[in-house]
Amino acid sequence: MTAPTVEPVTRLIDQPRVDKYAVAARDPNPIHRETPEAYAGPFGRPVAHGMLVLALVSEAMTNAFGEAWERGGSLKVRWRQPALVPIEVTARATLRSESDGVATYDVICEDAAGEALLTGTASVQLA
Amino acid sequence: MPSRASARVTPPNPSTSEPTRIVFESLSRGDVLPVQPLTITADDVRAYLDATGEPAERWSDHVPPVMLSALMLATLLGQVVIPQGVMHTGQEHEARRPVRLGESLMVTVTVSSYSVRRGALMASFETEARAGDEVVAVSRASVLVPPPEGATDTSGGNAE
Repeated sequence: MTAPTVEPVTRLIDQPRVDKYAVAARDPNPIHRETPEAYAGPFGRPVAHGMLVLALVSEAMTNAFGEAWERGGSLKVRWRQPALVPIEVTARATLRSESDGVATYDVICEDAAGEALLTGTASVQLA
Repeated sequence: MPSRASARVTPPNPSTSEPTRIVFESLSRGDVLPVQPLTITADDVRAYLDATGEPAERWSDHVPPVMLSALMLATLLGQVVIPQGVMHTGQEHEARRPVRLGESLMVTVTVSSYSVRRGALMASFETEARAGDEVVAVSRASVLVPPPEGATDTSGGNAE
């Protein structure tokens, strides 16, 4: 198997999506919801969960690799700026290297203006 | 309780059944939080995919890897009182094999680093999910708690 091209995934992250994610991911931090804490917080408004943004990277990798991503995929990322909702996010992965049966991609999630929200790497063992 | 005897816990609330939770500021590198059970059902996955927007067809048998990572992190959130203003700055996840819906897992959280610099608290947590003796996934989360406004650095050192 050679390393495939990973197609980008774009999605609108709005407040209803964040609210549903807070329940599904069991993360009730009020900074993510329409709460006084969010408006009094460092960003002045609710911010999407970082893991919700990261989910787009995993979706893109799953689209490209299927079960290989579940079997031996790995991610290492840092968040660069908050995803203030509503926001359109695009996850991209660009092949960096392919050696010893492992494909490594540079990954990024960016907003509609191309500003990086998250950067890092994703690696997958090629079958 | 963490493995270190010095870790403090919040007092139990006799009016609720809420479990006792650990005070974040009492953590230290090397603390191991109590092992927690985790079982992810088909309903859990449907709710997660409805939230993220990822198509559901692919996940009729297995758990999305980053969902597992998020719920491993949630075991930390369920055990520790997280300070207001905490920022999730980094995340790593290693999938060792697919996790089946309904599979019984046990999750262990270890404080892998904990330090204070210029009033900001930085910590990282390594979380391991096991099915029996088999490690099925490992996650690492890094967080930052900014110093309170107006706070001055009095130590500049490491709280470990």
